[in-house]
Formats: sequence, C-alpha cells, structure tokens
Amino acid sequence: MLILRRFGRLAIVFVVVTFFTFFLLDRAPVDIAEVKAGLNATPENVAAIRAELGLDDPFLVRYLRWLVDAFQLDFGDSIVLDGFTSWDLISEALPKTLELMILAEIIAIAIAVPLAIASARRPGGWIDRLGSTSAFGLLALPSFVLGIYLSFLFGVQLGWFPTIVDDLPSIFSDPFGNLRQMLLPSITLALNLVAVYLRLLRSDLIDTLQEDYVMLAQARGLSDRRVMWRHVLRPSSLNLTTAIGLNVAGLIGGALIIEVLFAINGIGRLAIQSVILNDFAVVAAIVAILTVAYVVVNFVVDVLYTVLDPRIRHGAR
Amino acid sequence: MGRRTRILGAIASLALVTAACGGSDDDSSDDEPAATEAADESQADGSDPDSDDGGGDESAPESDGDESVDTDGGGESSESTAAPLEDDEQLTSEGEGESGDAAGDPVAGGEITWGLTNDGTGFNTTTAVAPGTIRLMGALSDPLVSLDVNADWVPNLAENLTPNEDFTAWTITLRPGVVFHDGEPVDAAAVAANLEAYRTSATVGFNFANVASIEVVDDLNVLVTMLSPWAAFPFQFVGQPGWMVSPSTIGQNDTFVGTGPFMLESWTPGDGARVVRNPDYWRADEGLPYLDAINFKYLVDQTVKRQALEAGDVEGYISPGDEDIVDFLEDDGVDVWIGTAGANEYLWLLNTAAPPFDDLRVRRAMAHAIDRDFLIENFRSGLTEPADGPINPASRWFTETDYPDFDPDAAAALVAEYEAEVGPVEFELSIEPNASVIEVAEVMMSFLADVGIDGELKEIGQGQSAITAIQDDYQAFSWFQFGAPDPDRDYVFFHSAGGLLNWSNLVSAEIDAGLDQARQSDDVAVRVEGYGQFLQALADEVPMLWVDHLNGIEAAVTIPELNGIGTPGVLPDGSPSLPMTDGSFFSWTGVWLEQ
Repeated sequence: MLILRRFGRLAIVFVVVTFFTFFLLDRAPVDIAEVKAGLNATPENVAAIRAELGLDDPFLVRYLRWLVDAFQLDFGDSIVLDGFTSWDLISEALPKTLELMILAEIIAIAIAVPLAIASARRPGGWIDRLGSTSAFGLLALPSFVLGIYLSFLFGVQLGWFPTIVDDLPSIFSDPFGNLRQMLLPSITLALNLVAVYLRLLRSDLIDTLQEDYVMLAQARGLSDRRVMWRHVLRPSSLNLTTAIGLNVAGLIGGALIIEVLFAINGIGRLAIQSVILNDFAVVAAIVAILTVAYVVVNFVVDVLYTVLDPRIRHGAR
Repeated sequence: MGRRTRILGAIASLALVTAACGGSDDDSSDDEPAATEAADESQADGSDPDSDDGGGDESAPESDGDESVDTDGGGESSESTAAPLEDDEQLTSEGEGESGDAAGDPVAGGEITWGLTNDGTGFNTTTAVAPGTIRLMGALSDPLVSLDVNADWVPNLAENLTPNEDFTAWTITLRPGVVFHDGEPVDAAAVAANLEAYRTSATVGFNFANVASIEVVDDLNVLVTMLSPWAAFPFQFVGQPGWMVSPSTIGQNDTFVGTGPFMLESWTPGDGARVVRNPDYWRADEGLPYLDAINFKYLVDQTVKRQALEAGDVEGYISPGDEDIVDFLEDDGVDVWIGTAGANEYLWLLNTAAPPFDDLRVRRAMAHAIDRDFLIENFRSGLTEPADGPINPASRWFTETDYPDFDPDAAAALVAEYEAEVGPVEFELSIEPNASVIEVAEVMMSFLADVGIDGELKEIGQGQSAITAIQDDYQAFSWFQFGAPDPDRDYVFFHSAGGLLNWSNLVSAEIDAGLDQARQSDDVAVRVEGYGQFLQALADEVPMLWVDHLNGIEAAVTIPELNGIGTPGVLPDGSPSLPMTDGSFFSWTGVWLEQ
C-alpha cells in the first residue's frame, strides 16, 4: 500500500515537473525548427522541419505525445546532434554522474560517521573541536576552489591522480583504473557533504545519548561500543538519512562544477551544454530522469526510516 | 570502537594510495592526456574569441597547382609561419621564429591526448560544421588543396587543379589508387558527388553560388564550370568543400569516412574523439602519419587545461588564454605556437539597414569613440593588433586605409550633429553569453557612453548568432570572423550579391567592384588593388566596428617533446606547408612524439 501511494505521488510529481519544464522550453525565445534547419535555411526548410517535429500542433498535444513516449524511454532525437537520440547522450553521461555521486556519498559518510561518533562521545574534546573547525572550513570553501587545489596538489605536484577523467574504464572491469580517475573528483564533491553530515549526526548522537534507555543500557554494563552501535547510532541516523536523500538534488548541481573541473562527460555538463545549444529534447529528457531519480531516492529514504527506527516501523503497521 | 575507527581509517588510506598508484606513471596510454575546451571558436558567428573556423572554408592567395597562376606579382606573401615563441621579441616578429623542433628525425609511434576548445556537433560535411568538429579534420581528412608556406594553394588530395583561360572552368584531377577509410576509391564520381552535395546544400551552398555545374569527365577528372570567372576558386578546397567523404556516407552526421592520415575510432559528444592511424593512408610510403593514435578531449576551463598540461595529462591544447600565453612564454617546459595566418577579427556588425546605423555619422562616431589600444592592452595582454578591416596587416592583400582613429571629440561632434537632427543615439548590442566577450563589450559601451551613445547588451542564445544576423534581427552584433589567408573566402559577407549573408546589409558599388576585381584575376597586383579598394570603402562606410586581429592569441601550446605542430610539414609535391592557418588550425599528418 505504502509503495502504491509512493508511486502515485511519483507520477504526480513527474507530470507536474515535466509539464512546467516543457512549458518553459516551449516559451523560450528560440525556434527549434530554425535551430535544426541551421544557417541560411529557407523558410520552406524551416516549415518542413516544423511539420516533421510536429511543432505546429497545440502545446498540450505535443506535451502528451512527449509524455507517452517518455514512459517508453523514448525521449526523442537530439535537435542539435543529428544521428543521436536524447537517450544515447544521457545513457553515456548518466553512469559517470551516478558513480561520482555514489562515491561522494560513500566517502562523505565514511569520514563523517566515525568523526561524529568520536565527537559525540567527548563533546568539546579535541576531536570534536578539530572536527567542527574543519567542518566549517570545508563548508566555507566552494567546491570549485577545493577542486582546483586538490587537482594541483595531487595531480600536478604529487602526480598521484590524473587531473582529468579521460577514457574512464568501468569500475567493474578495472576498479583501480576507474578509481584512480574518479577518486579526486569524488573527494572534492564529498568534502562539502562531510561538514553537513558531521554536524547533523554529532548533534543527534549527543541528544540520543541523553535518552533514558541509553543510560539504562549503560547501567546494565553494556560496553560503550555496543551501546553506540546498537542503541544510539541507528535512531540518531534519521536526520542524516533525510539529508542524504535531499542532497541528491544538491549533488547534481555540485556534480556539474566537478564535471567541468575534472572534464567528466556527466549529466550536469550535458544539461548545461544542451541548454546552451538549445537542445530542448535533451533538456526535457534530463529533467524527467532527474525528477524520477530524486523522487525514488527519497522514497527509499522513507523506507529506510522504518528500518532505522522501530517506532516508525510500528506506527506504519 | 576507537580501534575499529583507526582500522577503517587505515583501510581507507591504503585504498586511496593503492588507487592512486593503480595505473603506474608509465602506463601513459591509459590515462594520458586529455584536455578541455575553453574559449572557443566560431565560424561566421558571434560566439566567442578564439574562434577558429579552422579551415572550415578558408581560401588563400593564389597560386598554381602547376601552372597558371601568377603568384609573385610583387606583393609579400602572408606571413603565416607559426613559430615557437620563447620571448617577447619572437612574439612581435611573427613568422620569423626558427623552426624550433630540433629534435632530430621524426619517429613513428606514440599516442597523445590533445585538448580542444569546443565540442563538435557532428561530421555532416553538407551543413555548417561546428568549430569543434573542424579541429578533428586536420587528422581525419586531407583536403583537395592545402596552403604552402606562402599561403599559396598547392594540390593535396587532388593531383592538380587546372583552369581554362578565363577561369570560368576548373578541372580537378585526382590521384589514382587513393581510397577512403572504408576502402572505396577516391575517384571522380566520389568527388563530384561530394561537391554536388555541398553546392546544393541549403546551409553551406552559398559558397558555391558561382558554380554552374559539376561534371564527371572520366575516372579521375571532374569539371567545375562557373557562372563568372573565379581565379581564386581552388582556395575553397582548403577547407570544408575540400573534405571528401566516402559517397555512401555523404550527409551522415555521426561518422566520418574520409581520406586522412587517421580514422575515426570513436566520438562521444560532449567528451571527445579518438582517432587511430590509417593503415592504408595514401602517403604511407612516406612513413606518414607518425602517431599511432590521438585522443581529442574537450575541456571547458582554462585552469583545467593548464593543470592537465602541467600534470602531463595532455600533450598540448589549443586556445590558451592570453595570460597563459604570456606565462608560457617564460616557461622552457612549454612551447607556444601562434598561427599568424587567417586568425579571426573581433568586431561589431552594424546593421546599416536600420536606425541608428543607417546613418553614416553614427557609424563613424562609433569608430572614433573606441580606444582599441586600451582594449588590447587590458583584455588581450597586448598580444593582438588593432584592426581596421578584415585583412591582417601581415597579409599580402593588406592596404593601409584611413579608418577613423580614436578621437572622442570628433565622435562627440558627430553624435551632437545627429542628435540635433534625429534624436538620441540608442541601440542594442546582440551578444552571445560569453563572460569574457561581454566584459570587453561593456567597456566598449562605456567608451560610447562617453561620447553620448547609449547602448545596451541583448544576450542571445549560444549558437544563434548567424541565424539572428541572417534575419537582420539586430542593430549591432558582437562578432568574430574573417581574416582568411585569401580574402576571397569572405566575399559573400561583404558583397551585395551575398544577399542575406551580406551581414551589414551595406550595398556599395566600391566594395562590389573591389571584391569582383580581386576574385576574377590571378594577377597579384590586380588583386591587391581590388582588395585595397574594398578596404578603403569599408573604412569610409564603417559597416563594421573593428577591434582587433586575433592572430596573437589564437595559439596552441605543447610539451617540447611533441613535434610537427607549428612547423612546416611536407606537402605531396614536396613543398613545405603552411604550419597553421585560421588561427591555430593545423594538419596532424607530420606530427610526431619523441620516444
């Protein structure tokens, strides 16, 4: 039932977002037929292309036609790149951005969780102070500055990593080759997240540690480690989980900068390039896919709540 | 807990170091270079600075394939040699730099990564090809004709081009035994099919408006008949009209089956392309090409490009920023190659068919108001030269004119006269969304404001410049174009017969007569006179507001071990080729890497 409700919500969000995206693109002061016809095209050329693309049909007809095709993963041909469908371009770019985002999340969580636990165990201690200071420092540092610094240090000066991503091997067939190229951009994207996750989790951990059941567990003689991992961390992770879900949209924006800095042919760069070139078919497809991704991720987050917190699980029943 | 954290940290550190060392430094074939794109280029449009139409359709002075054309009528040739610039003296003495590549004899082998400025939009040679694609053509295609060091045309893929007596017909003779990358023969039928597709194209056919017919004479000869004499016709084949593709792929956008030293292995829009040595290259008996493969990588940011070069991730790239050029000139670890032939000009088109620029006083006031030296000093690091017209002062076709000098008082007087008669001078400048170009335009606006001209920026979509200009939907337009080694390539953009492509809509008998005289004769003196008349008419009428010749900043930077860029190659007839044209466009045929 929960899943059905979520799907219903997903469908509504998808239609609303894609409708307004389609509407905005339709109102853009650019004639797609002229773009496709190119330099020195005659009015007849433009008219023929307009008819071929169905641009003379009413807006709603065109939107519904696009919607039906989109549900079949047919997002139409690229307007600028003859011979390529929108899906061709997206399927090339999307895996790289997904990998970038997943690696960034993993790195951020891997750094933030241990630091938050150490900070929460001794609030005001040197780890806490150092962690807080570093977190604020990272928050204040824009990722494009961070990326250039990291690239200069680890790429130019130390030569540990390439400064650009080129001919990226699959992480499954050549994980080391892949990570050698993707680690630097992933770390750049992750460091801003570390600050947010660290502050959120530390705060929740400290609150949870004050709960009666935690003190009861400690009074029963359970070890600090067991109390922390079994009784404190999970219920303290709700806000962190929410933040991870909500950060998906932010990560896509951040990924654009990282993709430019490290020459990754990802979805962010494709989106910007498509906007610049007025390749509206690709833009609409990207928006549709990102909308679905965002809603699905947050659906997963909702499901995770029930796993992390028994009270929610019981309430759901 | 604490111990577990430490273990996790140690594992993470180990993973990091392992990943970092995963591809050792010497498996360079895996993660070699890559590049970026940056500033960029444009082909007959207002896109942006380092525009390069890289031979897209340039032409060049005349010459002879074997006969006919008189190339030494006294004019100096275009100084077009690219040089490795190691100091400011060389920078200001274009074409005089030594060849620089004293690395010895070329060696075969090696693979490099090369940074490009712009992404391509496909390979359809019957439509307007994007600058990013044009950059690949130096590897994928041998044009029918190339330019020698004097910027005279020399047959390349074609064996010869022979005119009739009055230049109303040209016979293109092909080499026997040459094949496309798919094994199909490069014969008269294939060449005629390519030329006919180009001629009848709605988007690029205007370049062949003077072509009446294209006929196959026999297996190796094609006859092209003109509507009127066209002595400079062979220069058309240096660029896009000269790129031959296998007949079955004419009009295809996602692949390129040409005749060049390298074959297209893959092209990923938005990322780059990889080309590999053509084993059946028609000049293979000369040991060409030398490289095994080239990875072209589109990079979008100057800082990224520079760091990639310094880290050894790319072996070179085009279109460095002016500040980087200045820095690299001091760096022995980087060679800077500046093409001095065919670089674009930065200018504003003025629509002379609409107010306020239908009034000559306003146009001349604009020219008097702009301090070009200030712009060059502050926005080009002093590397470019002020422009008075579309022909570079280094070109044999250049003639001094009395284009309006910087004189704010004269500008203010003209504006006052116009205002008293008509009203305030107000206009919109159409401009593509490029920050560095907008910066320059805003400063120009401030110069104009000082003399009473009130301008506003009107941003248009990227890539919309040509369409907007064709539709005359503008008053003034920020623009990059022209500067072809042979000005005949720019004929349609100034001549009244250019129709919609006569950008500024100025109809001038003087301009038409000058351009026609230069087009129809093969005598250098006659052509110089024609272009002189053309340039003076432009200076008098000011249909364009000229800023600078970009020959100083259209460049390529490379590691010293990469040779053959910026130095003359060897054309099929044994003559040395023009190393770089149209800014930093060059052929990859003779490029080699020290092993």
